[in-house]
Amino acid sequence: MDRAYQRTRILTNHLILNSPAQTDCLTSNECLSYSPPELSEKYAFDVSEMRRLMDGHDVEERDRLFGLIIQSKLFNPRVRGGKVFVSPDYNQSMEQQREMTWKRIEYLLERGVFGGWMTGKGEEVEMKRFACFEVLGLFDHSISIKLGVHFFLWGGAIQFFGTKHHHDKWLRDTENYLIKGCFSMTELGHGSNVRGIETVTTYDSNTGEFIINTPCESAQKYWIGGAAKHATHTIVFSQLNINGTNEGVHALIAQIRDADGNVCPNIRIADCGHKIGLNGVDNGRIWFDNVRVPRENLLNSVADVSPDGKYLSAIKDPDQRFAAFLSPLTAGRVNIAVNAVYQSKVGLAIAIRYALTRRAFSLKANEPEVLLLDYPSHQRRLLPLLAKIYAMSFGANYLKMLYVRRTPQSNKTIHVVSSSFKATCTWSNMQIIQECREACGGQGLKTENRVGHLKAEHDVQSTFEGDNNILMQQVSKALFAEYVAAQKRNKVFKGLGLEHMNKPCPVIPSQLTSTTLRCSQFQMDALCLRERELLNRFVADVSQCLARGESKEHAFNTNYQLAEDLGKAFSDRAIFQTFVEAEATLAAGSLKDVLGMVRSLYALTCLEDVTYLRYGYLSVDNATAVRREITKLCSELRPHALALVSSFGIPDAFLSPIAFNWIDANSWSSVQH
Amino acid sequence: MASSVSSQHDQVLVEVKSFARVLTLNRPKQLNALSLHMISRLLELFLAYEEDPNVKLVILKGKGRAFCTGGDVAAVVHDLRTGGWRAGANHFMKGYTLNYLMATYSKPQVSLLNGIVMGGGNGASMHGRFRVATENSLFAMPETAVGLFPDVGASYFLSRLPGFFGEYVGLTGARLDGAEMLACGLATHFVPSAKLPMLEAALCAIDSGDPEIISSIIGRYSEQPSLKEQSVYNRLDVIDRCFSQKTVEEILSALEREVVDRRDRWISATIQTLKRASPTSLKISLRSIRVGRFQGVGPCLVREYRMVCHVLRGEFSNDFLEGYRAILLDKDKNPKWEPSKLELVTDTKVDRYFSKVNNEDGEDLKLPVRSKFKLPSYVVAKL
Repeated sequence: MDRAYQRTRILTNHLILNSPAQTDCLTSNECLSYSPPELSEKYAFDVSEMRRLMDGHDVEERDRLFGLIIQSKLFNPRVRGGKVFVSPDYNQSMEQQREMTWKRIEYLLERGVFGGWMTGKGEEVEMKRFACFEVLGLFDHSISIKLGVHFFLWGGAIQFFGTKHHHDKWLRDTENYLIKGCFSMTELGHGSNVRGIETVTTYDSNTGEFIINTPCESAQKYWIGGAAKHATHTIVFSQLNINGTNEGVHALIAQIRDADGNVCPNIRIADCGHKIGLNGVDNGRIWFDNVRVPRENLLNSVADVSPDGKYLSAIKDPDQRFAAFLSPLTAGRVNIAVNAVYQSKVGLAIAIRYALTRRAFSLKANEPEVLLLDYPSHQRRLLPLLAKIYAMSFGANYLKMLYVRRTPQSNKTIHVVSSSFKATCTWSNMQIIQECREACGGQGLKTENRVGHLKAEHDVQSTFEGDNNILMQQVSKALFAEYVAAQKRNKVFKGLGLEHMNKPCPVIPSQLTSTTLRCSQFQMDALCLRERELLNRFVADVSQCLARGESKEHAFNTNYQLAEDLGKAFSDRAIFQTFVEAEATLAAGSLKDVLGMVRSLYALTCLEDVTYLRYGYLSVDNATAVRREITKLCSELRPHALALVSSFGIPDAFLSPIAFNWIDANSWSSVQH
Repeated sequence: MASSVSSQHDQVLVEVKSFARVLTLNRPKQLNALSLHMISRLLELFLAYEEDPNVKLVILKGKGRAFCTGGDVAAVVHDLRTGGWRAGANHFMKGYTLNYLMATYSKPQVSLLNGIVMGGGNGASMHGRFRVATENSLFAMPETAVGLFPDVGASYFLSRLPGFFGEYVGLTGARLDGAEMLACGLATHFVPSAKLPMLEAALCAIDSGDPEIISSIIGRYSEQPSLKEQSVYNRLDVIDRCFSQKTVEEILSALEREVVDRRDRWISATIQTLKRASPTSLKISLRSIRVGRFQGVGPCLVREYRMVCHVLRGEFSNDFLEGYRAILLDKDKNPKWEPSKLELVTDTKVDRYFSKVNNEDGEDLKLPVRSKFKLPSYVVAKL
């Protein structure tokens, strides 16, 4: 009734000229005005302390790099609503975007940002490098991928597979960009199945050279970042064929362009063309027409060929030898997982800030419209995702530490954790940005508002450095192997956080109270319970298949649904554990209190997963209690929403106009200037 | 020290011109250095004008050859010596509150910078909507030479200058003329001093506080001055290369690398200036500008207040008193800084200047509440 009355009144006013009501409509106090959330929202905890906890390391280094970007014209600064925003001009042509990406890299190079990235050693250098990648990724995915290919893939391959003379010859030049590297692994016909690649390398002992050849169209190297325009050198993965014996996949260095950018003889390069995102990266395709490279170009830490053409390898098992070749991809996976978390932060910071300033509908006539974030439904959309990204931040920090402190013994853990976190974080990222885009309504569709555009830019994350589904299958396989090993040797579970399997199965109380639901021990129990039960079930089902005489591969393939659920359960539990550990480092106070609520919201959101009901880990009543508690937590976290996104430490310039004064950013005067 | 009430009252002259109020800083012998009284008076006036619907515009200018040379350091030192650090900090607390009020003012402030504008003088003008430079303007933030750091919200406005010009200006105390001020954005307009009376009359005649209208009126008297050939603003490439470095030490070595390549008097002079400045000041100033780049003007002032309390408490260094002695009191221009070298000012020491003052009577700067006024969008963008 009220709304109908209002409409009628408005229509009447339109019709009756000079009515007092109409004059009122025109006065400025009837207009919407932007009120910065900072003026109305209070911070209950120290956001800079929270930021230090979330970023985890190198905060000053990050800020310096943010500053280098904001203060340079190369990063396309634009003023909207009185504030400066930086973001590439995605309306530029693919060629222009690629040139800008390269110019930005040159600028950072001149400013010494990459100093020590290849020649430096140790935890500190590697963590600093991760921090820089996170910052650059916040500006643009293309720049971080272009750098990632050069430093982590090309440079990493030389570090990991090369020996001293390769290090001496290439690392410094790589760091200074005297050469530009790329990484030719994927082919048109083979992506995730690297062992199936078709490029062939043979050895000519008369000249002491290797001969690299692309025997068929499906063997062309594909998606090679940097190859289409800029790269001068590449790592080539190929089947090494020595005296008629295929020794499996090996890596060599080949030059593809001279210093002036001319393509080398016997190399053919084509462009992969325009893509749905990442157009600042020049992905290319490469054909090798019996390209000859000196014998020293074989990266020989794993295997070598003697001058007279004998194959020599310290690792006899071809499976292990192959696994050794994939290690640089681990660094890439760590980067992708971490970067995905930071992209989600951008989306959430924008959507939540917008929801704190945008109003829609009044509850009663003549009342002010309600802020989006004051709607329980809007809180329910965004705040559980915010909690998830807090959890994943701690997970990402753990993963980085695991990586930089790697030892030969921790390789398996790194592989399993990085695979599962990469898949989980990137899938979540896509889900989160999509939700944030929708939460911003039509404004989310404008490229300048970033949140929508991020989807196209980051879609590739679920595919590169290992398809997410395949990675998750590998996680389940690894967990299966742990289980079988423990059973066979009648030993306890050790590592991968599976120690809880040694304890009695946790019991979920039949009636869940609010206090229980917010207790971290209960939350941990519930997550462990699911992982344990799924692992038991997966092992039982796979074993049954094996007992029927099916192959292991076939058994895994048929049990793919359980494998997926298990991979997710492992990941959720492992991430939760890192949250609890981060929380434990804090002294009692408001920061810890708020973080405790965030942790509960994350845990309970995990418990809402369909597996809990599907397999009966939670009763219907308990599932209802979980859902009710989530709503309560959302409303309790609502007052902290601004502080929680401010703690991301992302400078305003890296968000977007709708996160700030979106009225002024769209004003007529802004059109004229 | 003590001055009579009447002469104190004359330190800020007030003219009522229909919808405009013209405030003149009137301590020409002291080059209009801001006494505590002047700060209080300005605060009082600005607060009252904000509530007064008959005031739409505030014009601020200085009598004599200076707009304002900054705070009254002699008075600060006097209070510091007689009443402890808290008494000294009171000057800054009042001053920063005024800076915040001006930065978030709901009505346009036009500052006519027809002369020297330094330190606190910049705090009283740069935060306002319009800053009019002339051929007589002389800008500087010279704090690092006296053991302080660019405060009064400088970590907000210097950090937003193009490239790394803010770091350069803040660390070296470089002097800028009116053309340079306009080029880098410290000034919004350049009006030849001969036209100032006409401009003032025109501004006093309007009945609107609309920034667009005010801007177009000032525009009518404005000129586009050309930079001198020797202007530092023509050296932005070198400034960006060097002052974008991570630490003060690295900035110095970058400058030294530049002179190896080619002899350059300006670079050599810049190196000398940095070497003469207080090492502690340089390090906290650089950090302050870098941190300020990501903070709103309120948080910048709150942080600067913490920093200045640490400076006055002298727990880590007494460079402020030493700078005062050497530059302003004895004028021997030979301060003995302690710590004496950059490398002795460790990151941990710098960190402490940014921490909350740990003392029962130490408290954070309380910013006046601004939510009851409808703030213009250019103010909202600064929060």
